[in-house]
Amino acid sequence: MNKVIFRAADISKSFPGVKALQQVNLSLNHGSIHALLGENGAGKSTLIKIITGIHRQDHGKLMLDDQLLQLHGPHDAISQGIGVVHQERNLIPRFSVSENIFLESLGNKGQTRIDYRAMHEKARVWLDMLALDVDPATPVNRLSVAQMQLVEIAKALSLKSKVLLLDEPTASLTSHETDTLFSVLHRLRDSGVSLVFVSHKLEEVQEICDQVTVLRDGVNACESRPMQGLDRQDIVKLMIGRSEQIPDWAARARSTSGIALELQDVCTSSGHRDVNLQVRRAEIVGLYGLVGAGRTELAKAILGKDRIVSGTIEVDGSPATISNVADAVEKYHIGYVSEDRKQEGLILMHSIIENVGITVWQQLGKARAFLTNRTIREHVEPYINKLEVKTPSLNQYVNNLSGGNQQKVSVAKWLAAGVHVLIIDEPSVGIDIKTKAYLHELIRELADTEDTAILLISSDMPEMITLADRIVVMNDFQVMGDIVNTRDYATMSEAIMNLIHRKQADKPTTPQTTPQPDNRAAL
Amino acid sequence: MKRQLNRYLQSDWFGPLLITIAAIALVSWFNPSFLSPFNIQILLLAIAVNAIIAYSQMVIIAIGQMNLSVGAIGGLVAISFSGFMEVWSIPWPVAAFMALSVGLTAGYINGLFVAMTGISAFIITLATLSIYKGLNLGITEATPFYKIPETVKALGNSNFIEPLPWLVLPTIIVTFCLWYLLNRLPVGRFILAVGGNEHAAELSGISVRKTIITAHAISGFLAGLAGIMLVARLQIGQPTIGDDWLILSFAAPVIGGAVLTGGHISVAGTLLGVVIVAIITQVLVLFNVDPFLVQVVLGLLILWAVGLNKLREVRAARSMDELGAGA
Repeated sequence: MNKVIFRAADISKSFPGVKALQQVNLSLNHGSIHALLGENGAGKSTLIKIITGIHRQDHGKLMLDDQLLQLHGPHDAISQGIGVVHQERNLIPRFSVSENIFLESLGNKGQTRIDYRAMHEKARVWLDMLALDVDPATPVNRLSVAQMQLVEIAKALSLKSKVLLLDEPTASLTSHETDTLFSVLHRLRDSGVSLVFVSHKLEEVQEICDQVTVLRDGVNACESRPMQGLDRQDIVKLMIGRSEQIPDWAARARSTSGIALELQDVCTSSGHRDVNLQVRRAEIVGLYGLVGAGRTELAKAILGKDRIVSGTIEVDGSPATISNVADAVEKYHIGYVSEDRKQEGLILMHSIIENVGITVWQQLGKARAFLTNRTIREHVEPYINKLEVKTPSLNQYVNNLSGGNQQKVSVAKWLAAGVHVLIIDEPSVGIDIKTKAYLHELIRELADTEDTAILLISSDMPEMITLADRIVVMNDFQVMGDIVNTRDYATMSEAIMNLIHRKQADKPTTPQTTPQPDNRAAL
Repeated sequence: MKRQLNRYLQSDWFGPLLITIAAIALVSWFNPSFLSPFNIQILLLAIAVNAIIAYSQMVIIAIGQMNLSVGAIGGLVAISFSGFMEVWSIPWPVAAFMALSVGLTAGYINGLFVAMTGISAFIITLATLSIYKGLNLGITEATPFYKIPETVKALGNSNFIEPLPWLVLPTIIVTFCLWYLLNRLPVGRFILAVGGNEHAAELSGISVRKTIITAHAISGFLAGLAGIMLVARLQIGQPTIGDDWLILSFAAPVIGGAVLTGGHISVAGTLLGVVIVAIITQVLVLFNVDPFLVQVVLGLLILWAVGLNKLREVRAARSMDELGAGA
């Protein structure tokens, strides 16, 4: 059982100016699920790229079944039985499921006719194995995200993979889909496939993995040790070199400050029903829920991007009709930090100053006929400095910044716009733990010093409990209730989960903490 | 039955087919001479050449790029073909073969630059458009070659069976070959795969460079073929051949449901797109509308087609959502 099937020994790799990996080891047992963990930039992706033949190591060797591996490209790794499911989707959208699965094997016979019927039949075998009930002739762009994920796994398996690397396979899955995926992975493991599992979600890793390798700054923080006996704190300690803690901030009472944003019985075209929500000035309200609970959609409805069917929105106590995002920003001073900063939050190929300035062009342009870089700079620079964006110059392209700094730029953009209400959607996705802690301080400070009302959307429970003054729980496009944050992880997380799984028919009750009258009113 | 109908409604060729049939019915009702053998022959001649022009752009749209130089390649091949015959007295089949090689090479060069530099095909083909057109004008000094062999003239203007002109033969063959290539052969699937998701295609072991070069070479070959066919039809080696191809070359594939970002085209749809454009052009002539208005109509047709494609996309997304909500 504990036979080592694959070993990466003493792997080193440098890129110009960076030592990405230094003498890293990883050994993979036959029929096991091996976690590969580390913060962003710790070297996980580099190691995966070396194992799958995309990069070549400077030193060290890869051994498969005690044979030395020489990989000259992804094709070599594939032919040796090393499959990978990359983090981003790698399917051809309009091609059928079966054609996507067998795309690799088409390469060898470029001139022979494709026999689609035979291909569909062959695909059926893999789909059955993964319990994926779709017609192999369906174009993949008709599938759900989870189904696409399974198609990619089928694709990797169809190449007779003995070793299968999964890079953040659950990042875009709902918890139900994740469960399905895990049962598939268990079955694969039991049939003798060795899996490497990369994830930022430690709960998942603990649930599914037998062994763990942790990388920190390009070196092994631990090397293929059994998962047994490690708890969450131990793993975090390995990853960041110290333990993660929920900072000991004082709870703040915001029940007396003015109401900045209030939703009354709001129904939206995207499916929300009777949503009531209140955010006071200088208050951080957390909006917690599972993926698909309708939180981002609610944010977009507030911003005027999705239509509100009935109910009212009040900003600073007076009714607001927000028909588009420009309205939200200019008239009502509501800003939105997108969960998808690369696609929606920032213009990656523009400089910092252009990205932050985008919200103030209009405002500055009215006062002066010409927009010069200097006027923008004068306006923008204080915020960049305040957020301590690490950059040699404001003209640096946002593309070249780290994830954490990019996130700071997307927050700075709204500070510059002088928003009174800021909706922050999943601020720490793809950001390492150190930057995350800093970002948390920043958000907290924003509420304290600038009086900004903050609506925080997050699926990260520790983050929620760290930041929020009050947590509103959503499920299935409805508000299930809200809880004042006591900052005690155990009781809070239990209370939140109880709210999520509560049946709609049940009477709302405020669990745990001393109920505050005006919070209850929001129910 | 309903499902079958739904499938047709979702396919790219169904809408254009309905429009084609409706247009033919309507026009021949107003003007019976529309379906006269002579008029059918004129229509088919226009369709035969324009279809090849549209295909040469379609192949590039399939990889998610643009080829602005289709007309310039067509023109260069046309004057090469007629020049080989007039100046060097080369027999026409050999001259045709050599001229087609010129087209293939021109396309290959486009592909090579795009694949090797990674610069967008728009810019590369804008530059080669100028180069190929410049070569054309430099060689001809803007005067046509007049000495075209009688056989070539006959092939371009006579019928092999009434009322089918000889020129439809290459178009029929090319149509079938392209369909087979893009739907049944791995090489063609690679072209669509690269257009659909270049990154994924590369990670699946497909050589993106080779695929891009192949597509451009095919495009150059087809543009050249259209050029040769036009020489036969016009009975003269005009240096201006190809100057007015660009709009049509995009219009027909788009009417046929092609996605300009790549990965999805329809050979049948493109052919029907050409037919629709040809019919509309004819109708404007039959009803004595100013021929310059044809341009306006073509532009409107493109807008209508992209609008329709967008609508279908939105609808498909919505029905996906409903499926998701139901599950």
